[in-house]
Amino acid sequence: MMNTTLANLAVPWDGDRDDTLVCRAVRRETHDVKTFVFSAPEPRLFRYAPGQFITLELEIGGQAVQRCYTLSSTPSRPDTVSITVKRVPGGAVSNWLHDNLEAGARVKVRGPTGAFSCFLQPMPPRQKYLFLSAGSGITPLMSMARAMHDLVQDADIAFVHSARTPDDIIFARELELMACNRDGLFRLGTVCERRGAQPAWSGFNGFLNLAVLQNVAPDYKERLVFTCGPAPYMAAVRTMLEGAGFPMAAYHEESFSFETLAQEADEEAAIEAGEGAGFKVTFSRSGDEVDCPPGQTILAAAKAAGVRLPISCTQGLCGTCKTKMVSGQVDMKHSGGIRQREIDQGWILPCCSKPLGDVVLER
Amino acid sequence: MNRTPDLRTLLERRKPGYSLEAPFYLDPAVFEQDLKLIFGRHWIYAGPEAAVPEDGDFFTIDIGKTSILLVRDGDGGVNAFHNVCRHRGSRLCNEHKGAVGNLVCPYHQWTYDLKGALMFAEHMGDDFDRKTHNLKPVHLRNIAGLLFVCLADEPPADIDLLAASMTPYLEQHRVADCKVAAQIDIVENCNWKLTMENNRECYHCRGSHPELTRSLFEYGFGYAPTPETCDGINEYNRILEERHKQWEAMGLPSAEIDHLDDRVTGFRTQRLPLDRGGEAQTMNGKAASSRRLGEFQRSDLGALSFWTQPNSWHHFMADHIVTFTVLPIAVDKTLVRTTWLVHKDAVEGVDYDVANLTAVWNATNAQDRQLCEQSQSGIASPAYEPGPYSPFTEGLVEKFCNWYIGRLSTEIG
Repeated sequence: MMNTTLANLAVPWDGDRDDTLVCRAVRRETHDVKTFVFSAPEPRLFRYAPGQFITLELEIGGQAVQRCYTLSSTPSRPDTVSITVKRVPGGAVSNWLHDNLEAGARVKVRGPTGAFSCFLQPMPPRQKYLFLSAGSGITPLMSMARAMHDLVQDADIAFVHSARTPDDIIFARELELMACNRDGLFRLGTVCERRGAQPAWSGFNGFLNLAVLQNVAPDYKERLVFTCGPAPYMAAVRTMLEGAGFPMAAYHEESFSFETLAQEADEEAAIEAGEGAGFKVTFSRSGDEVDCPPGQTILAAAKAAGVRLPISCTQGLCGTCKTKMVSGQVDMKHSGGIRQREIDQGWILPCCSKPLGDVVLER
Repeated sequence: MNRTPDLRTLLERRKPGYSLEAPFYLDPAVFEQDLKLIFGRHWIYAGPEAAVPEDGDFFTIDIGKTSILLVRDGDGGVNAFHNVCRHRGSRLCNEHKGAVGNLVCPYHQWTYDLKGALMFAEHMGDDFDRKTHNLKPVHLRNIAGLLFVCLADEPPADIDLLAASMTPYLEQHRVADCKVAAQIDIVENCNWKLTMENNRECYHCRGSHPELTRSLFEYGFGYAPTPETCDGINEYNRILEERHKQWEAMGLPSAEIDHLDDRVTGFRTQRLPLDRGGEAQTMNGKAASSRRLGEFQRSDLGALSFWTQPNSWHHFMADHIVTFTVLPIAVDKTLVRTTWLVHKDAVEGVDYDVANLTAVWNATNAQDRQLCEQSQSGIASPAYEPGPYSPFTEGLVEKFCNWYIGRLSTEIG
């Protein structure tokens, strides 16, 4: 008797009727990223365009919450789907998934849907792609890359992924494997802000720039670009490509994890619940170091620790606290007190910025 | 002891066709009236829109003690305000140009948005009405990418006539699609009127401007016919007629319009042919930028000249634009701001070279400064008395003085 979960015995998954998935496995990808593998309770065949997302309907602390997650899996392995989730500081849903969702658990789900997929575009022979991702923004691009790999498409992919440290590169070994298997049709570059715990890291250091792009894909201007990552990353990519004269008609982007859409509400909840570890904020000139709890602005954390910053409006309006960020990433919700080109140059307003990792400020 | 006659007397006894009496250039009291009645009540050319290409970009101009702030807002428009905080009057922007998020007073951080609305003022209590403390606006007109401001409560309405006449001339140069390639401020130690008068004639060009006259036909600004110059004048007039026909056929308005002294908002324009390469005011007469403006298909379109009363002149070529703003600082000090514009996509070092682009006018400005400062010194001598203008080459100086005397006489009431 054949195993009943094999695709050839399954019927197509119907998002309208099949509203439940069972978690079959949880894989640890990095220290703060996990992949959750699902299948339907009865054998089902998943068909979707790589890059699409599903919506989880969860009940957390007695409250119904919905979150969209890109499928990191590929439809060329149709018996299961998976999502890959990074802990978001203060993010109620991502932390709940990390802490609670185990094999055997059932979740309500809708989808898949979404239009961010190179498989929804005409794919002439030897189409050339440039995939640019940062952090967990890798998931839709990983799904597309896996599908191309499995289907032995002759598409030519250059994949440049940005991460905080080498240990934060999600799917590092699988990316290398695809680069080995695809015989010159998969060029990989990884860019790390810091070496972290890998002093011998030999990849690119710093942030994505044109020199890195030139190195990995000198023909990048001939490629269809698909980008996914945090908003500041994507803004920087757009600015960089526009500045280089890239034909922006060939540029596509997906907003980062849909978690960010409802993050604010989460963060407030997180503060009340006091969960999460928070991040370290270092002031390079004064040498002060403060801990920034999840959901708190850098200004609030500095104030609580007795570190004084020049401030006035505290609402992101006046720009009095404008500070150069040496390293790190923040979620900044300003009200016009800073210009996009200043943000692109690495300036932030601490009064309305919440760290997304450890941050070093020039003060 | 000599006493300066009062301004009304000076105005009444001005002799047409002659330069102005010395007090117009030397007397601080007359200068105060110039600021109040000429610069305070007429449309003043502030600069090109291209000086503020992005949201939050600003520049300031000072007219006497009045500082005006021009800033591009988030909706793509440009606004002008008095550069004065509504709290305790501090200057808002102390730089001549820069970029801001919102407009924030450096003193107590009162914060205004780019349309001048007060958004934030700390510690002012519940009864404080923010809406009544917005920045004071200054009248602003954007004419085909050139920014004019007016400090009068009721600005002269005939700016509409200027806009209607000039827009067809200017629009094909797409001034708003340009970027500032270079901007140089010089301070001339002379009265602002000497700077303007010097600009309004080319009598002095042959003797003083070897660089400018490489491309500029000296006959283009009037010339006394003599047996020696007759052929040259005729030849120039033939070229002028031929080019005007050609340009008009291409849809480029070229004919002279002159309202220098018969309107409140005085101006003049004409498209003039250029000598040598025939393309631009450069040392070899060739275009300075390989990226042409707008939709121009060729570079030899001469130079569209545009003069305004009381404080600007401009040259629009197929590849670049040179625009001049004159602002009085003191009775014997004048700011001359020269701005070179090229197509916003032109790349420095590839499409144009700044040294080549600016060579002619840098040389010419330096020569003109010396001439004007020498005039200022000479006029200060007790021996100075108004001298006659050339009927052939100084007609536009006369029109400048006519306009000035006429406007002052009217405004002084």
